[in-house]
Amino acid sequence: MKGVVLGVDIGGTFTDFAWVVDGGLSLFKLPTTPAPEDGFLAGLKRLPAGRLARIVHGTTVATNALLEERWAKTCLLTTEGFRDVLEIGRQNRPSLYDLFCERPRPVVPREWRLPVPERLDRRGRVVRPLEERAVREIARRIAEGGIESVAVVFLFSFLNPAHEERVRGILEEAGVRVPITLSWEVLPEFREYERTSTTVITAALRPVVEGYLSRLSRALGGLGVEAPLLVMQSSGGVAGTEEAGRRAAALLLSGPAGGVIGARQVGLSAGFSDLVTLDMGGTSTDVSLVRGGEIVLTPEREVAGRPVRLPMVDVHTVGAGGGSIAWTDPGGGLRVGPRSAGAVPGPACYGRGGTEPTVTDAHLLLGHLPRARPLGGLPPLSTKLAEEAVGRIARALGLSLEGAAWGILEVVEATMERAVRVISVERGHDPRDFTLVAFGGAGPLHGATLARKLGIPRVLVPAQAGVLSALGLICADLVHNFVRSLVAPLSELPPARVNRALQGFRRQAEGILAAEGVPERARGYRPAADLRYRGQAFELTLPLPDRPLTEEDLAELGERFHREHERNYGYSVPEEPVELVNLRLTAVGKTEAPGLPEAPGGGGLEEAVIERRRVYFDGGWGAWPVFQRERLPKGAEFPGPAVVEGPESTCLVPPGGRAHVDDYGNLILEV
Amino acid sequence: MDPITLAVVGNALSGICEEMSAALVRTAYSPNIKERRDCSSALFTPNGELVAQAENIPVHLGAMPFSVRAALEAFPDWAVGDIAVLNDPFCGGAHLPDITFVAPAFHEGELLGFVAVRAHHADVGGMTPGSLPGAASEIFQEGLRIPPVKLWRKGELNRDLLSLVLLNVRTPWEREGDLRAQRAAVETGIRRVVALARRIGAKTLFAAYRELCLYAERRMRAAIEDVPDGTFRFEDFLDEGIAIRLELRIQGDEVELDFSGTSPQVGFPVNAPLAVTASAAYFALKAVLDPGLPPNAGAWRPVRIIAPEGTVVNALPPAPVGGGNLELSQRIVDVVLGALARALPGRVPAASQGTMNNLTIGGVDPQTGRPYTFYETIGGGMGARPGKDGIDGVHTHMTNTLNTPVEALELAYPLRVERYELREGSGGKGRYRGGMGIRRDIRVLGHRATVSLLAERRKERPWGLAGGAPGTPGEDLLVIEEEERRIPAKGTVEVPPGAIISIRTPGGGGYGPPRGGPE
Repeated sequence: MKGVVLGVDIGGTFTDFAWVVDGGLSLFKLPTTPAPEDGFLAGLKRLPAGRLARIVHGTTVATNALLEERWAKTCLLTTEGFRDVLEIGRQNRPSLYDLFCERPRPVVPREWRLPVPERLDRRGRVVRPLEERAVREIARRIAEGGIESVAVVFLFSFLNPAHEERVRGILEEAGVRVPITLSWEVLPEFREYERTSTTVITAALRPVVEGYLSRLSRALGGLGVEAPLLVMQSSGGVAGTEEAGRRAAALLLSGPAGGVIGARQVGLSAGFSDLVTLDMGGTSTDVSLVRGGEIVLTPEREVAGRPVRLPMVDVHTVGAGGGSIAWTDPGGGLRVGPRSAGAVPGPACYGRGGTEPTVTDAHLLLGHLPRARPLGGLPPLSTKLAEEAVGRIARALGLSLEGAAWGILEVVEATMERAVRVISVERGHDPRDFTLVAFGGAGPLHGATLARKLGIPRVLVPAQAGVLSALGLICADLVHNFVRSLVAPLSELPPARVNRALQGFRRQAEGILAAEGVPERARGYRPAADLRYRGQAFELTLPLPDRPLTEEDLAELGERFHREHERNYGYSVPEEPVELVNLRLTAVGKTEAPGLPEAPGGGGLEEAVIERRRVYFDGGWGAWPVFQRERLPKGAEFPGPAVVEGPESTCLVPPGGRAHVDDYGNLILEV
Repeated sequence: MDPITLAVVGNALSGICEEMSAALVRTAYSPNIKERRDCSSALFTPNGELVAQAENIPVHLGAMPFSVRAALEAFPDWAVGDIAVLNDPFCGGAHLPDITFVAPAFHEGELLGFVAVRAHHADVGGMTPGSLPGAASEIFQEGLRIPPVKLWRKGELNRDLLSLVLLNVRTPWEREGDLRAQRAAVETGIRRVVALARRIGAKTLFAAYRELCLYAERRMRAAIEDVPDGTFRFEDFLDEGIAIRLELRIQGDEVELDFSGTSPQVGFPVNAPLAVTASAAYFALKAVLDPGLPPNAGAWRPVRIIAPEGTVVNALPPAPVGGGNLELSQRIVDVVLGALARALPGRVPAASQGTMNNLTIGGVDPQTGRPYTFYETIGGGMGARPGKDGIDGVHTHMTNTLNTPVEALELAYPLRVERYELREGSGGKGRYRGGMGIRRDIRVLGHRATVSLLAERRKERPWGLAGGAPGTPGEDLLVIEEEERRIPAKGTVEVPPGAIISIRTPGGGGYGPPRGGPE
């Protein structure tokens, strides 16, 4: 694919553009517009002339629709007797001690959860035939009720989709023209609540996402753009617009996925393949893991309190950002967040009407941020307003001003430290083996101190810290995931059955990749199986060879399972039967990652010094040199303490640490 | 100690407890721990005072200190690598399936404190699979009792002891896996406490223990202070007429819960050891007064519990206690909430379903020829809240364990779920409606099965508040060839192939007079 590859990431505040032509990378950002496609098109007009090879888009349109409950009016057809599965969920409540807690509102209210007489057994055999008359009756109600999308979830449909398929046929014959989403197509896996939730969310978001993407495609067509439009999915792979619309729930982590891929790309080019990525913005911090150069996926997570069982970047989000507000609780303890001053009114020091003390105010008072110079498009920050805000906390706690400000940073970092532990230590990884990639507006201020607390030896502050998500978009591969539940004892499973399922995935995948214009040599296929001991409630995923499997392959798979179990849990039970629960295929269309631009050489370190500034750090004030990031020559090395100010973020190099500028202008801190 | 260090160390200590639980869940074998997360972890001072805790279900809330106290009384001396294990409800436990590990953390020869990890094991022997026999009249029928014993000494496993335990349980290799996971969790906790002490110093750590307890105590006292002084009485009953009577006395910033007048212990398994009663009382106080209260020894200093020995709320051996944890604990919550509602009208919800609907089905799978045991609990209606309806079909108060998905259940057992839905009209009427109960119908396929039920609120209805109506009581039916008959809510029945067991769980009580009804 020759020509320009363009990445466009639309977030809440900024729309970021990154493009590659002839291996070189360029970047810029614009404010996000109320109708997000407007900012997209405005940015396109600023691009240099040249043929576009493809456009890769990261979007929060699905996420926002779910969070704000602006979804399509959806009805759900269920097996009779099971209409309330969506509402009962796993029968647990969201909070142990809050007697006034609420579950999230079901995406489909009870009156539109319509039971259909039918039933399959655990082998997919018909126990009760589908009552077609009942479905025709429902078709009439759908037409009269102004329904915009239909979801169909029958028990055991992942073993036999005939009833779900027949319902689609009947509804279409009866003139239903809205999208119909079948659970076996969205998630052919057992566990009906997670399948119902995922299917219903897909159905309810489809009209929103399909509407947005078709408006955007039309507008691009109007500008004469012929390049294919691809969309970043939660799994870190990209897909075409038709696929993206049909699998709308797979876009819920589109935004964060771009950031993690971008961080991985920067990390790999700097020579590090085990990374903790830390993206700290105004209201929250996203942390994630890259292991051996691969992003880590989770098979399921909750979004807005509702389970979505689709492969997603394993991002853990906590309410700790530059705008997080400090407060004192009834017992006299200092707390920071999760409430945030956001962009409006913003921290007190922005002078936009915010009066509550935030993390940014604390940094300003401690000299971590410039006191009199403008900062990243903002007018100079007001020390006076920050003092008033933080002063109130200081008096309440009986602390000095700098003591309170430092305390705010300590407390917010405790929250971030927990977040990193959740995705590393609690998943069995040792943070000491990793490099911390700190980005987002506030990440580089906390990277070094956080790394020390976690025992992480090294921090990487990318040159493109502000537009890493857009960079990630153009580096991402096309990825499609297929899964199907079999739930059968491994020893009794004929290889033909496994091969049939995998070949089915393979045919679908080839069709999709061909339609996306991926040449054959760039296609890759990774089959895998989920296995467990019978009676276990969880599975281990093991890779399979990419060829038709034999009896010996399956026997070897069983042995591998015992070994993996031993490795993960410290024991195995070779005499216990092993079950094959799910078959999976990941199909990848490789893209060529762009080369990152090299930083300028030459120039001395001294020329990059802007000033020496009074900075407070860990109990004392000192005079720290402040460097201007863009003027640091590549190869430069200097010891802490120091402040490095960039266009989008400021980085602290603590006393005892060392900083080094690599060939790409990344700042690497040994802490 | 400055508030910053305190906040940071407090965060680190609760983080350690969460990491212990995460390690346990990650490495455990059985669904009970892995999927239902029936486990808890906690950290204690060298004197055995609770400092921080992570619990997934509230029934462990107040019970862990009893375990540590029992272990410390049994063993005055501790060495690096020692781990004490116990489950005896009359010596540090709650009911037999809950096995608790207690271990010291040392740094440079100095005792930093103790970690404790509790997990509900799927079987610990006794007269029925699952070790919660509804027909037990003595604790000896409920399974293997383990007093505090050191299963590891200086890191050395006592294999003799382990063999003794494993010989007495139905699925020994699964138990061994879960016990290993518990040890991994204990080791995680010790490592993290030692690392913290290295970072901040043992002196600061001890100061933080003290301050964290004082902090929780201040919060609790402030919350009690807001309750008007006085004596508030409430009583409620189990379906057999067993009375739980409470006099809740508020004076200044202290509260006394006096259960004098409660029925004597009985010869079926609804008795509770004091640890369970304390958990239930603490749950209700924390939920009403300050849900965010950090659970530690300080929080409970202003609370005094009087529970006469030999009653159902402080049973003595050899009373069977399997269901005290499950059923009586829910009624104790109802009684404490009822008394608090009199002290704080407008801040307390009506009664929730008040039971866990414990259902066990066992038999021989006709296809595999292997015996199976299926155990689950079923949610019901939450009581209506001032200003809000109760949640429908949900676990309330002392439990929050997950259901078994219908498809997972049918893939694993020779059973078919015919209906799983909300029970319309079961929520108590009122300005705010009580939550609906659940109807779950399960058909036994091609074999005879033994069905045991341990459930409550089949006669005594979940009460309404402020003029709201009570919720509909639960009902349990056996359907054989379209003929329905009731089955006892505490007991065991044999059922023929093709029979349906239909459990209909209670609705929550309503709040406030119904609109249009009599004001």
